[in-house]
Amino acid sequence: MRVHKLFRRLRFGVFALFALVVLSIFLLSIRTVSNELETEYVSNSANIARNIADASVDILLNRNLATLQSLIDQFVEIESIRYIYIVSDTGEFLAHTFVPGIPEEILASDPSLTDPVERSLPGLGEFVEVGSPILSGVAGTVHVGMDTEALALKIQRAVGQQIYLLCIILVVGVLALIWIVKATAKPLEELLTYVVELARNGGEASDNGVLARTDEIGDMARLMRHAAGQGSPPPKGRARVTRPR
Amino acid sequence: MTGCRVGKGEGEVGSRLVTRRSLIRSGLAALAAAPWAGPLAAATGPARHRGRNSGPAQEGDIVLGVSAAFSGPSRGLGTELYRGSMAWFNHVNDNGGVNGRRIVLKLTDDGYQPEPCVANTIQLMQDESVFLLFGYVGTPTVTRVLPLLKRFGDEQVYLFFPFTGAEPQREPPYGEFAFNLRASYRQETAGLVDNFVRIGRRRVAVFYQNDAYGRSGWAGVREALAAHGETMAGEATYMRGTQFDASMRAQVEILQGQSPDAVICIGAYQACAAFARDAVDLGLHIPVANVSFVGSENLLALLREGRDDPGSHTRFLVNSQVVPSYEDTSLAAVREYHELMERYNPEPPEDVDRIAEGEPYEPFPQSFVSLEGFLNAKLITEIIARMGDEPDRSRIEQAVFAVRNYDIGVGERVSFGPERRQGLDRVYYTVPEGDRFVPLEDWESRFAIS
Repeated sequence: MRVHKLFRRLRFGVFALFALVVLSIFLLSIRTVSNELETEYVSNSANIARNIADASVDILLNRNLATLQSLIDQFVEIESIRYIYIVSDTGEFLAHTFVPGIPEEILASDPSLTDPVERSLPGLGEFVEVGSPILSGVAGTVHVGMDTEALALKIQRAVGQQIYLLCIILVVGVLALIWIVKATAKPLEELLTYVVELARNGGEASDNGVLARTDEIGDMARLMRHAAGQGSPPPKGRARVTRPR
Repeated sequence: MTGCRVGKGEGEVGSRLVTRRSLIRSGLAALAAAPWAGPLAAATGPARHRGRNSGPAQEGDIVLGVSAAFSGPSRGLGTELYRGSMAWFNHVNDNGGVNGRRIVLKLTDDGYQPEPCVANTIQLMQDESVFLLFGYVGTPTVTRVLPLLKRFGDEQVYLFFPFTGAEPQREPPYGEFAFNLRASYRQETAGLVDNFVRIGRRRVAVFYQNDAYGRSGWAGVREALAAHGETMAGEATYMRGTQFDASMRAQVEILQGQSPDAVICIGAYQACAAFARDAVDLGLHIPVANVSFVGSENLLALLREGRDDPGSHTRFLVNSQVVPSYEDTSLAAVREYHELMERYNPEPPEDVDRIAEGEPYEPFPQSFVSLEGFLNAKLITEIIARMGDEPDRSRIEQAVFAVRNYDIGVGERVSFGPERRQGLDRVYYTVPEGDRFVPLEDWESRFAIS
């Protein structure tokens, strides 16, 4: 049917537009969520490192390493914080959370650095590490390592939720579109059937209900019947072309 | 099952675990038993005294709050400490109590996990209004409870004789809220290091539980080595709660890479036994020392169990202890301990078997841990007795400080004071001989580098 072909194009166009919107939002979401979460992670970890550093001063000055370990053990329970270590101003590891031992990469690094660094620790994973000086660094440095896989998982989850919602909207939109197209196509089909019969029967056709319609389809049917030499012309006011709203 | 928190003292109003079975049993027992005897003892018969003074408290009882490991991989420690204490408390209560008052334990299980221990302590202090806290087990648990004691400092609820040698409850800012009987880890590790260095084993490495307990021992070793101008040869860690069936290959290999002359383990018996096993299997044939917290009998039992040559994995062990050998019957306290353990043979606390998901716990007739529990109970009884007929918390500190040169029966006298919150200082060294640890007489001949 020609009408269907016409609407198929429309349907495809709308669907393509929807897909483009979804894809754009998807890419934008990944970028935004990834940046926001990463910034938030680094910021939170830096805050945690700073909190530990602040809380460690008295403990370190009292050389109470059991309490220091107890302190970092509490912080390492926070989701995505995978390791914490505290190094003295002389580079000695005073407390840490590594099992079965401190990784070589960390032993070899400069413990006084506090800028965020990316670390790949064999057997442990990928991490972003932030540091904070204790007593401006004269008492040591706290380092907090965040699991980037956990971060990636969190980003995936956040983006996934958005995509899930958009897909639902897309499916609902397409279904609604199909329904609207069908509803719009039905009177056109009836008109076409009527006109084809009119043409085949030399101006005679059975009324399938289109003549009774008061809309443009009815006007068109009556116009066709008039053109075929049957019936009166449609009323004057209905002969104009109305723009779709 | 670790980390769970289960209230004991079945049948008590407000207890977390009041079962129909326990109510029926307590009721029947109460009908059958003499008023002075605990209802649970009557319910379980005379052969073993099932925590008879850990049952419901009566008017006038002195209630001591306990949070310890009665479940999980370290339950042997909590259980044996409790059994030793109960042997003494049963004896005291059977003889009229302290100035006519029974001493009753209110037990809670923390599975050797800090958070349940904190929650238990709040419950014991606020809901149960215990007279004092007694017989806690472990550094990671106790270090988390200490701030609570400070927070509720006005109520003067002191922690007595925790089963840990860590420093936080011996030093400011929390030292004033706790009293210790045993020597510290610092003293134990210093003794081990001194002896190793003396026999030429200067490269000492540490295998430790990666928490406050392990760190406390690690710091002790580090400090002791520094006194000899040495640094730690290497270190390897394990997670608290690791079981005997876990592999310690990675830890052994880390230490092997540093070629140490000796390893000092700061851990609990399951993980330390696993390490000792794997060290021998992987060819790390050097002395492996453990501190008192390890639970020597539990450690030995694991290493000997089901082996054709039961001594194959134990010959390199040397354990420090903070109480004398329980076989040294020349000591009055040890003789008393033997007699009362035999007479009362206290059972593990109720529901321990259920908590441990069907794994039965077989107590030891004697052990270093239960002897420590026994001495703890003996001393706290003496302190309470010194408070007279109407003991109250405000006079506890005064009563403790009045303990001067007290002969507890182990050949070392106990003294306390404002500047001394630890009763004993002596450290003993033991090695396995058959199925028990015996005093180590000669380090040189046993462990010197050939």
